[in-house]
Amino acid sequence: MIYDEPRFRPGGDRFIEMELGDELNFDLNFLVHALTARVREARLDGIVELLPNMASIVISYAPERIGYDDVLREIGALHGSLGSLEDVELPSPLYTFPVLYFDHLTRACWEDYCARIGEKEYDPDLMVRLNALESRAQLARIHSGTEYWVAALGFYPGLASLIALDPRCRLTAPKYNPPRTWTPKGTLGYGGSVTCLYPARTPGGYQIIGHSPVPVFDLEQRLRAFRDRLALLRPGDRVRFVPVGREEYDHVTAQVESGAYEHQVAAYAKFSIRAYHEWLATLDMSVRF
Amino acid sequence: MGFTVIKGGLETTVQDYPGRKGAFGMGFPPSGPIDHWSFRLANVLVGNPPGAAALECAFIGPVLRADRDAVIALTGADMKATLDGAPVPLWESIAVHAGQTLALGSAVTGARTYIAFAGGIEVAPFLESRATFVIGACGGLEGAALKEGQSIPLRDVGATAPSRRLRDGVRPPSPAGGVWEIEVVAGPNDDWIDEAGKRRFLTSDWRLSSKSNRVGFRLDGPDWTFTAKATDKAPENGEHPSNVIDHGYPIGAINLCGQTPIILMVDTLTLGGFINPYTVPTCAWWKLGQSRPNEIYRFREVTVAAAQAERRRIATLCTEDSLAPGEQDGGRA
Repeated sequence: MIYDEPRFRPGGDRFIEMELGDELNFDLNFLVHALTARVREARLDGIVELLPNMASIVISYAPERIGYDDVLREIGALHGSLGSLEDVELPSPLYTFPVLYFDHLTRACWEDYCARIGEKEYDPDLMVRLNALESRAQLARIHSGTEYWVAALGFYPGLASLIALDPRCRLTAPKYNPPRTWTPKGTLGYGGSVTCLYPARTPGGYQIIGHSPVPVFDLEQRLRAFRDRLALLRPGDRVRFVPVGREEYDHVTAQVESGAYEHQVAAYAKFSIRAYHEWLATLDMSVRF
Repeated sequence: MGFTVIKGGLETTVQDYPGRKGAFGMGFPPSGPIDHWSFRLANVLVGNPPGAAALECAFIGPVLRADRDAVIALTGADMKATLDGAPVPLWESIAVHAGQTLALGSAVTGARTYIAFAGGIEVAPFLESRATFVIGACGGLEGAALKEGQSIPLRDVGATAPSRRLRDGVRPPSPAGGVWEIEVVAGPNDDWIDEAGKRRFLTSDWRLSSKSNRVGFRLDGPDWTFTAKATDKAPENGEHPSNVIDHGYPIGAINLCGQTPIILMVDTLTLGGFINPYTVPTCAWWKLGQSRPNEIYRFREVTVAAAQAERRRIATLCTEDSLAPGEQDGGRA
């Protein structure tokens, strides 16, 4: 549920966790980001950082400048002043990523895991089976059939947690146990009901079903999209995946390597939850992808 | 020009305090020294601002050759440091001449030694901090622990007088007998643990695992028991009682991963799907930084206000006022 009143609990002497609800729910996550935006705008003295996530916000503060009770009062007041979410519109750039589904890199990663750590069903086949799909092709159609919402950012720098906006395209996947010791940068992963692009070569636990040559994170800020940032995606942004063949994948890979690649983005798009709710009401839930 | 790394040691990193701010929401933890009390005093001893970039040396220290005259100070763990073979005192600033070799060995007490250099280490800041974040491969010297052959650049300062010492009672107490009393604040997810579980946590001995590092300190101890919030929850929270919908992680949080508590430290992952029933406040991090595998933690619950008061007390000790009388004025020649 979404709580009527937010619940605050301390995390030591300079963090507070603010819980706004206890479920995975798009409206709840939208509330999290609407409130985060409001708190940032308010520039409260002593509030250092905000970590918005699915249903909660972790607030770090400087106890030398603001007391625990004052953080609760100030942020509680901002929460109370939000009004109806239906009237809130947030900036929401829409990025498009080319994806080679069931690619050679993630297949090699899975083979390496089987050889070194233990036998495991091929990730796309596991996802097809657990989601009662007909084929890998249907998995790719469903995965690429919706826009995704950046619900959270972090774990590892630049890692965006994406949730499907079209409820017909929601999939679930278990996590690796034990986890992988490495995952190729750019891997498309799925864990729980979250999908992501791996920002760097890191360990990982999500099922891996494809690869994009287009980076979401760049410490060296080489491509134009990274000129003013290290992490491309921010909470509240949207993402679309477009299946491509090997030829286009190779072409984009070469463009990224040469530094000429321009990320595909509708930069000034906005997101209104009222429009989203209206769109949801028009969906034919019996349509299969 | 500064010092050349002859041997890197086990994990010697450039850190500053309080580390990297403003990028937590992007997934960058703060990094910085774990024992920030000893770290700041090392800087005070050489006349630097308390947070200036200096070295954190874990368990086995480095061997460094001075390429110019410098004033340095060592604090924290005793690694039997020598300068051209002669013992070097801890908690005191010392002069090093060009060509001399500073050699640290294995920690005989404590776990982390801090080396501050008058002027501070002058590596390029990354996201406004010089702190090394090893798993993120950024900050510090080439985003990693020191390696043989690297040069540690120092900021040029006028000559700084050596032999500054600290007043009594301003530095962290010496580690006592392998048992540590660690302050904890209940929360943020203490309501997931039942009363018996809380009592067990606060009355049991917890053994520090050797699988501990700047990302997290893993503890071995009794099993946890849970309230209905953990066992009767929406399925998207996950299967195990310790699973929760992904949420942000406070630094110092005691993250319950299945039945294994891990104290999330300065290089932590910033979010995840496990609960944090208790949090170690910043005033107790020096104890984490100086504890060794297989030592025992006993946790003592304190209020937020008490933890903040102790944080303030430590901060007031990490200033020039803590230098022994008569030595503040002689600081700079």
